[in-house]
Amino acid sequence: MREIILFTVLASTYLMVIAKRMPALIRSFRYQSFCLSALTLIIALGRGQPDLYIVAGLLFVLKVWLIPYLLYRIIKRTKVNEDLGLFINSQLSLLWALGFTYLSWVFSAHLVISEKTILTSFLAIAFFIVLTGLFLMISRMSALAQIIGLLVMENGLFLLASTVSGGMPFFVEIAIFFDVFVSVLIMGLFVYRINKLFTHIDVNKLSRLKG
Amino acid sequence: MQIFLILVIPVLLSISTLFIRRQRVFGVINCTGYLAVLACAVSLFKGVISNGSARAFLGFIYIDFLSAFFIFVISVVAFAVALYSIGYIRKDVAQGIISGKKAGVYYLLFNLFCFSMFMVPAVDNLGMLWVAIEMTTLISAFLVGFYNSKESVEAAWKYIIICSVGIIFALLGTILFSYAFSISGLSKSLNWSDIAPVAHILDKDVLKVAFVFILVGYGTKAGLAPMHTWLPDAHSQAVAPISALLSGVLLKTAVYAILRFGLIIIKSMGFAYFAHLMVLFGIISLIISSGFILVQKDLKRLLAYSSIEHIGIISIGFGLGAPLAIAGALLHVFNHAVTKSLMFFGAGNIVSVYRKHNMNAIRGVIKAMPFTGIMVLLGMFALTGFPPFSVFISEIMILIAAFANGSYAIAALLLFFLSVIFGAFVYHFGKMLFGNLPKGMAVSGEPLSGKMAFLFLFSLICVLGITLPFIKKDLLWIAQRLLQG
Repeated sequence: MREIILFTVLASTYLMVIAKRMPALIRSFRYQSFCLSALTLIIALGRGQPDLYIVAGLLFVLKVWLIPYLLYRIIKRTKVNEDLGLFINSQLSLLWALGFTYLSWVFSAHLVISEKTILTSFLAIAFFIVLTGLFLMISRMSALAQIIGLLVMENGLFLLASTVSGGMPFFVEIAIFFDVFVSVLIMGLFVYRINKLFTHIDVNKLSRLKG
Repeated sequence: MQIFLILVIPVLLSISTLFIRRQRVFGVINCTGYLAVLACAVSLFKGVISNGSARAFLGFIYIDFLSAFFIFVISVVAFAVALYSIGYIRKDVAQGIISGKKAGVYYLLFNLFCFSMFMVPAVDNLGMLWVAIEMTTLISAFLVGFYNSKESVEAAWKYIIICSVGIIFALLGTILFSYAFSISGLSKSLNWSDIAPVAHILDKDVLKVAFVFILVGYGTKAGLAPMHTWLPDAHSQAVAPISALLSGVLLKTAVYAILRFGLIIIKSMGFAYFAHLMVLFGIISLIISSGFILVQKDLKRLLAYSSIEHIGIISIGFGLGAPLAIAGALLHVFNHAVTKSLMFFGAGNIVSVYRKHNMNAIRGVIKAMPFTGIMVLLGMFALTGFPPFSVFISEIMILIAAFANGSYAIAALLLFFLSVIFGAFVYHFGKMLFGNLPKGMAVSGEPLSGKMAFLFLFSLICVLGITLPFIKKDLLWIAQRLLQG
């Protein structure tokens, strides 16, 4: 069961890489977050830790429902261009993503000492998601894509923390969730401001400060 | 007890901004509050020196020598900034740049920002340390974009995005640290005081990888080159008192985080690995910052690049690792915070009178503002490491340690870049401070609170330049206390 969910996490990340428009990106982010919260639920059932249920619930509420809702709302309110503005087109991005998958597999195979293969694939997919998030932030021009890239990186770390090191302490987990939510709110506010001042949210054109 | 007051006073002050409408009155209350915080921080520091480390709130808070020292540095700069803010914000309101309501927002954000910075050295849990540092970014982003101009919003966006990405890597490193801790077969914990004593049994390969992520992550926040790109933008666009806080102490909180993890690394595998990485990033920072300082045209960006330079010196100091170098680096943390705050206050006064950042267009500052002009002149010499000011002492300590260690290449590079930067500073500031007044500019008076902030900082610069707070036999004690926690 865990393997199937892990596979869907991987697939949803590939979907994000080939997305050309904002709604498609947010939708695949939703899939990814949903899979992660399902995975946490399964781990919680296996270990019988009550606090993991709360973490899974919070993940569902925040990343599957609230944050995508906020992002859709920003798109509607600012009436910005929904194109992501790809520096690297979808086909090439897919090739990059394949490269990342291989790299993170090699890296995690080095890092894991014990012989458990499932742990290696967890680690590999977590690193892959982090790398993809970074790639999305660098290769897309829209400010909203940068927010999603950051959230994707955070998802990767969540996967890493919950599977590899047996989860963060409970209150740290809660604090990180709160932190992510507040940062999305604040970045959203700044997207409004950028749109108001510059009449676009193309980060590539923010180049007044130099030297 | 003192740590409780240090954390509660900023929270109370930020709540009271919602009720006290008159910002003039509030500025004074704010300043008194931070004087109390400063007093608490001094007594906390003294207590830790004589009694050793302390815990509070069910082990949530852990204060040792390192954290007490950083809390003290933050409180000194926060008090000076609170003092300077009174005059600066009043003037902004009088000139109609910001509304009275927005001045209240300024004080609210200022207090929350200080609270989040005090949290960083106080918490024991490495995950909470991450949360506290991320909170500092989120709150100060509003203070960077405070004036809501195109430039400041652009700077705030870059700041929040680059620092958030950087700090995600730091979280990755933190998770790997906890992974190393969990595979060693011990019970799950992220508390520094639990991890540090057992550092020697943790898996070294995982720790090495983890520390690279930590250094890149928190190094972004600390302004180590080449992850520094947000720093000049944010420092040049923030409200002037906040630039002082950003440069003086925000960068230092990230340095603190690096040191916390670095101590675990040192205990686990000796000094070499930590030292190589710190010296490498320090040298890169010196090279990049000196280049940008030479060709800089913008006053506040010049000071921002100088912060990168000093963070580089600090990390070289910690990287050298001799007790003398470590004491020098700690002293440099304090000296740089004080001196750079003074310079940013001066830059704030200059920019608000001349209304431009371009140094080629600013002439005759000493004639236009005699007090600020002379303070900036002295501060410039202090910042570039001229005796008898305090930065000289800490830089010479690091240099002597480098020579005594036999690291001649590092010492030579350090000396070379320091002299290049000294020349560039004298050139830039000489043109700005002297010369004739531009046409139509009147000699203006300066608010008393601003002058007091300058004198407070300047007296600290002079006192630490003439006296040393410790003698030779204390050096080893300081290094040991750092390592023990």
